[in-house]
Amino acid sequence: MSQPPPLTPASVVRLRREGGVAHFPGLSRPRCIHCARYSEAQRDELWRLLSSAESGAGLEEAPGADRRRFCLSVEDTNGTSLWLLTVAEEAVPQELFEWWRQAETQAENGSAP
Amino acid sequence: MADSLPAGARLFLPPYMLERIASAGSNHLRECARHTLVVDQQFRARAGAVILPQGSVKRGEPARYVHSAEQQQALPGRLVRGEGEDDSGDPAVDEAYHGLGATYRLFWEVYERHSIDDEGMVLLATVHYGRDYENAFWDGQQMVFGDGDGELFNRFTIALDILAHELTHGVIQHEAALAYVGQSGALNESLCDVFGSLVRQHQLEQSVDEADWLIGKGLFTERVAGRALRSMARPGTAYDDPLLGRDPQPDHMDAFVVTEADSGGVHINSGIPNRAFHLTAMALGGHAWERAGRIWYDTLVDQRLGQDSDFPTFATLTLDNAERRYGAVSQEATAVREGWRRVGVLP
Repeated sequence: MSQPPPLTPASVVRLRREGGVAHFPGLSRPRCIHCARYSEAQRDELWRLLSSAESGAGLEEAPGADRRRFCLSVEDTNGTSLWLLTVAEEAVPQELFEWWRQAETQAENGSAP
Repeated sequence: MADSLPAGARLFLPPYMLERIASAGSNHLRECARHTLVVDQQFRARAGAVILPQGSVKRGEPARYVHSAEQQQALPGRLVRGEGEDDSGDPAVDEAYHGLGATYRLFWEVYERHSIDDEGMVLLATVHYGRDYENAFWDGQQMVFGDGDGELFNRFTIALDILAHELTHGVIQHEAALAYVGQSGALNESLCDVFGSLVRQHQLEQSVDEADWLIGKGLFTERVAGRALRSMARPGTAYDDPLLGRDPQPDHMDAFVVTEADSGGVHINSGIPNRAFHLTAMALGGHAWERAGRIWYDTLVDQRLGQDSDFPTFATLTLDNAERRYGAVSQEATAVREGWRRVGVLP
């Protein structure tokens, strides 16, 4: 695993939550954060949260069943994947979860969660 | 310093800095920092294994311990109700306690299994996990239940079959340990739905015709256009909602979903073996836990069931177990063969 690349205005961050006791297609769709809509400080904050998730990710998948996980990725403006991480939801900072929760509704107007 | 931060601003702070804010910042910041520290410490402590309390040494009697995470994400949390203690008055705690009891009863009274490992393993559950947490899971040692978000989901202890579903993940872990991916993962999920449904039918003393064969009925709030998480009788029809989407379960191998999502579709393609069980049980009539359930349980504990078993392997074993227990030309063997044939798993 490696740290995410620096987020530029051209970066697109995708957050996808999956797993759980049932698969809901509507809830497992990727949610996009277009970095061009955010300030440098907000992008820095988002990068730190992604980095935090990366450092909290275990080397082995958590045991058990029906657990949820987040698939995090950073793409460039052409859609080329630059960084990809699948991580147990417990390793995702609450603030990043808030970005995911509000990505669909607030990504359009550019306000951070 | 921290008091002058603009609204909405966020920092990434090391624990020592959080501790300083927690002791010296404004009231609001102190509370935020304290909560973050708690979550952080819990997360860092998660790597350590939980030492399980003593199980039940007497076959036929469970050992239940229900904890409350008190909206945090620490496991197992604070013990609220131990075996033999009176109702706590907390609906989630008491639902979990009684649900674990109902699940133990089915496995013991019908299949003579003494808890998760057949050796009296403690039944450990935690409720009130996280804030607005809309999920339930098995963590390898215990069951965990969230309160739901109140928007789409009610508390997860409300559904007896979900409690039983999670406990059955533990049983599978101690038997075939079906790998949680692809077809073996879908079999893992299906077995949990099968025994989840059987626990509810057994508790309600329902015949196959009286059962609704739904999984997770009552979990959705009234805002959701759906009946339950899954339908064993008619996979793919449990919900069709603007936010949740449409129930993706296939009911036949012709519609098997090849996907990387959901660990290779473990909660999606489980609809196929779920329907095979339903068809078998309906063909046999009466109480599903008696003959159909017996055959599925025999297969669950069958030493020939490997970690990477696929649908045809599992189906063939159920047929073999039906023939061994009831005879090669028995009604039971015919029902099993026909059930798997109708979902396209056996020819």
